[in-house]
Amino acid sequence: MARTNTIGPWGRPEAGPSPRRPRRRRRSARRQWLTGYAFVAPAVLLFLVMGLYTVGYSVTLSFAKWNGFTPDWEWVGLDNYRDLLYADPSLAPELRAAALHTAIAMIAVPLGTVAIALPLAVLLNRIRRLRGLLRSIYFLPYVTTGIAVYYAWRYVLEPDGAVNLLLRSTGLGSLARPQGWLADPDTALGTLIVIIIWGSVPVATLLYLAGLQAIDPHLIEAAQLDGAGGVRVVRHITWPLLVPITAAITLLGIRDTMQGFQIFLLMTNGGPGGHTDVLGLQAYQLAFFQGLSPTLGVASALGWMIFLAALLLTVVNARLLRSSQ
Amino acid sequence: MNAVRSGVVRQLTPGRLVAYAALALYAVVSLYPFAWMVSGALKGRDEILRGGHLVPREPTLDTLVDTWSRLHFFDYLLNSVKVAGLTVLGVLAVYSLASYAFAVLDFPGRRFLFWFFVALLFVPGITVLLPLVILENKLGILGTHLGLVLPFVNGTAPLTVLLLTNAFRSIPRELHDAARVDGAGEARIFWRVYLPLSRPSLITIAVLTAVPTWNEYVLTRVSLNDESRYTLPLALEALASGNVPRYNEIMAGSLILVVPVIVLFLVAQRYFVNGLTGAVKD
Repeated sequence: MARTNTIGPWGRPEAGPSPRRPRRRRRSARRQWLTGYAFVAPAVLLFLVMGLYTVGYSVTLSFAKWNGFTPDWEWVGLDNYRDLLYADPSLAPELRAAALHTAIAMIAVPLGTVAIALPLAVLLNRIRRLRGLLRSIYFLPYVTTGIAVYYAWRYVLEPDGAVNLLLRSTGLGSLARPQGWLADPDTALGTLIVIIIWGSVPVATLLYLAGLQAIDPHLIEAAQLDGAGGVRVVRHITWPLLVPITAAITLLGIRDTMQGFQIFLLMTNGGPGGHTDVLGLQAYQLAFFQGLSPTLGVASALGWMIFLAALLLTVVNARLLRSSQ
Repeated sequence: MNAVRSGVVRQLTPGRLVAYAALALYAVVSLYPFAWMVSGALKGRDEILRGGHLVPREPTLDTLVDTWSRLHFFDYLLNSVKVAGLTVLGVLAVYSLASYAFAVLDFPGRRFLFWFFVALLFVPGITVLLPLVILENKLGILGTHLGLVLPFVNGTAPLTVLLLTNAFRSIPRELHDAARVDGAGEARIFWRVYLPLSRPSLITIAVLTAVPTWNEYVLTRVSLNDESRYTLPLALEALASGNVPRYNEIMAGSLILVVPVIVLFLVAQRYFVNGLTGAVKD
């Protein structure tokens, strides 16, 4: 799957007008512009209808107070942001707890995913028999992730569910959770993180496997001939080639845990006692479940704070990984 | 026989054995909830309460049949197929055109537009959820399937544009120029050269679109009211929110929900794996 296009991604020559026909040059360039706009028109149009309005509306709303029913908005400037960060005693503490849970998940999910997916891919790369079958099996959690598999996990994590049963029957009964894993404040967040990792290992494994298979075996052989040991081969050849993949996996993990809250909504709804509250869930509840309280602006502000944090983290992450390369 | 055997013996070094053991262990971890899903779906009303056995003592198909027919899961399945199908078609149509323009054509603003679409990746869905509901209400499509399809299509823009633009760019420029010399216009080159050559990527996009759409819950939850328009996730939720949740029925519903995507994945996986890894290798 080698890139056949040797010109860089945005190299000028690739799409310039043909030099063989100088006289027609200007006309054909303009024609190509029009063709280009015609090709992007449906995407842009769809965005103008569905995207621009919603994004603009949401930004504007974040500077106002509104409950969704009164005809007018009350403009409050940056108050919503201030309230969320420190000013409102009914919001800020809850939000800090939710931010902490989100941060824990955001660190734990990419770490856990890489820690499982990388060794899995290395092992998978070493075997020949059953590789295709195992790859398909490993991929199932990805295609099914969503409400159905969350219910399956709930069933398994019940007080009398399969996980407790497994622990009791293997003599680890002291680890079992009599109230069930999701109702126990000590285990609820950790359990959800494990399930998120379980769902993100498939894609990561597949990407790592592809990365490993793209490494030229001659390169490793040559290094070994030069006296490089296993550790040095991994450090200087394998790992540098896997850094971009790790960056992509970390990035996706950060983004998904920052923005995603479906699993939290469906499995615990923030419970027990707020121990699994996350930022996305808070925004959702502020936007849709506060009745007549004017919380819609705060919900929007929270959404944009999540956006900024995700953007910032991504940039930092990209920088760090680039410098470590 | 002997030769086969010696082959096996040569292959199974202790290192390989450990590798296979670890890989098998993770296969069990991957399949664990599904095993219980199937097990739960095969249990009757009495047995589900007793719980505790992976292999049902009195396996019965009644729960599945009941969920399928009495709870109208077939209707919900059709709704899901309709929404996911239209979304996939929309995504392929709209963004293959745009990606072709980004990859092949030259026009002022294409870099800006390209990065603009990709940057949308960072806008959290929750931020635009409420304005979306308000907008759809104004347009009169709130609660319809079209009201799901349009935002779904729009939502896949960043990843789709990124992957398809990469795929189109990897096609040798010479093919484009040759077709040009033969007198083909851009539309024809797009349709006859670029689309057929990008089939693995297009199938990958189709799967990457179909799967999350099939499982989508949040927007569907806040926009659909009419039960006859419910997609499978909502039907399953309605089933689970009864006074006494019966895990056998919930697992049967879950099974009905996951089997189609598993089948889709198995059918498409040959293209899918190549398309995905090829697109990211850069």
